[in-house]
Parts: sequence; C-alpha cells; structure tokens
Amino acid sequence: MIQVTEETRNGWRIVAVSGRADHETADALEAALRSAVEANSKVAADFSGLTYISSIGLRSVVQAARAAQTRGCEFAICGLSGVVRKVFEVSGLDQVLKIHGELPC
Amino acid sequence: MLSMLEEVVLLAVDESTGGLRATRQYGAAYALVGAVFFDLALARRIDTDTDGIQILDKSPTGSPTLDRVLSAMGQRGACTSVRDWIEEMFYRREDLEGEALSSLIRQGILRHEKSKRFWVIDVERFPIADNQSHSDVRQRLAEAVLNDSIPTTRDIMLVSIAEPCGLLGYVLTDAQLSNRRARVQTLCKMETISRKVADAINDLEVSIRQGIPRIV
Repeated sequence: MIQVTEETRNGWRIVAVSGRADHETADALEAALRSAVEANSKVAADFSGLTYISSIGLRSVVQAARAAQTRGCEFAICGLSGVVRKVFEVSGLDQVLKIHGELPC
Repeated sequence: MLSMLEEVVLLAVDESTGGLRATRQYGAAYALVGAVFFDLALARRIDTDTDGIQILDKSPTGSPTLDRVLSAMGQRGACTSVRDWIEEMFYRREDLEGEALSSLIRQGILRHEKSKRFWVIDVERFPIADNQSHSDVRQRLAEAVLNDSIPTTRDIMLVSIAEPCGLLGYVLTDAQLSNRRARVQTLCKMETISRKVADAINDLEVSIRQGIPRIV
C-alpha cells in the first residue's frame, strides 16, 4: 500500500508518498508522479514516508523523472532515509536524478 | 517487440558476415542470464531489491525460455538472492543464445546458413534478413549512451547487458566509448540485476587471474 497526498507550496507541486513502492504499488506511484509532472513546472517527490522500494518501484520513479525531463519540468526527490536512501545510493541515481535532503520550497 | 535476450543476441550478429561476435565468453554467458531476468522483470513475473529476488507470478509468459526459467525458479525455493540465481542459471549452461537465435530466425529477422570450411569444419552463419530490427537496436543503444537524457527502462537494461557482453564497441567508436565511460557505468549501476551480473563476472575473472580452480 502507498498513500499519496499532494499540495502546492511556493510554486512547487509536492507529491508526498508513504508506504511501500513495490510491484503492487509502482503503477499508482508512477501515475501520480507523471500526472503531477504533466500539470506543473516544478515537482518535488517527498519520499520521507517511503519505507521500502523495489526495482519495479525504482523504475517507476526513474521513468517519471524521464517524463519530467522530456517536458522541461524540474523534478526533485526529497526526504530519502533508511533502506530507501540505500537503494538510491547503490543504484547511483544521485548521478541521474536531483536528490535533495529536504523539500526545495 | 523483441525480448531483451533477443535484442542482445541480435546485437552480437556481425551484419557484414552473419557471424556471431563472442568477445567475452563467460561475461556474455552471465549477461544473457541477466537478460532473461530482465525479460521476467518486464513481464512482471519477478521483482528484485538490493539483493533479493521475488517471484510475483508463476503464470506462463508465452516465451518457452522465460517459462522454463520461471518454472525452475518456482520449484527451487532455496535460491532467494539475485546473485544465487545468476550463478544457478550460469552453471546450468542452457543454450540461451541458441534459443534466441532460433526465435529471431522464426520471426524472419535472421536467416540460418550452414557451410563447410576446408570441406570439414561446420560453419554456421546468421545473416540479417530484416535490417530494420538490427538497426533499431543499434540506434537505441547508441542514443542511450551518447545522450544525457534519462533512457527508457528497456534501454537502460539493454546498455547494462550489452556492456558485459563486450558489444558496445561494435556500435560506438573507441573515442565515443572513452568519452562516455562514466555514462555507461552509471546506466549499468541502475539495475540490481546488472550490478549482480557485473559482480559475478568480476569474481570469475579474479578467480581465473589467481589460478583458483573453479568449474566453469
């Protein structure tokens, strides 16, 4: 299960995700991020509530970031911690995605 | 749409001679196992995390190769890590390359020709019958490496399998490869399966260098 909540703050659309990003939830996660990217010029994915991410979940995030890049949307990932941070580090995604410690707004 | 396994094997076909390029025998064998796991992941039959592998769905995919691997995985619960399964499939020595070639021939993408060299030695060639598929795969691979944009999931997987097979050098020039080495490494690191394939190849090469006996 994941829970997704959204709000707009200082020009940033913040998509806050909590729970597990895995094969059961990856499609919903990608859809939420893509939808935000298509409607906004700045999107921050707040993953501070994310407790687990599998490869399928990670691919969803990467492909949402790809959609943002294609549209010229600024896309930031924030609030990584614990095992989720480790997955992003091991995968070298800090070389590909904009990862912030805190929300950029 | 071709499978990852078929795309990598297609890349290995020399378009001028129809011969198969085999530059890193064991590296390529490991990488083809990785391609099968990528195909299973794309079919949503397996998922991975930093170490583990999980079977999500045992229902047939329609591909005999994938279904055989999936069935084997389902019957053997003891292997739960990506690395264990890569080693398990590597040592089974199934003819993944041969199965992909047969499939590409059935789809009209390759032809199969047999001849004799010096009247004795059997020579098999696989001339390209449909150049479109071959050039599409080459173009996607080149763009994924040469561009700075985030590639599609399939193209990330393609680069990370083509690299340990030693196939990037047939698509890109030495200068391009040298200039884009960091990009290749970044793409190869993004997927657990390709990281574990690289670990397996590295361990094997270390064993060979140190002269440690290992059955391969």
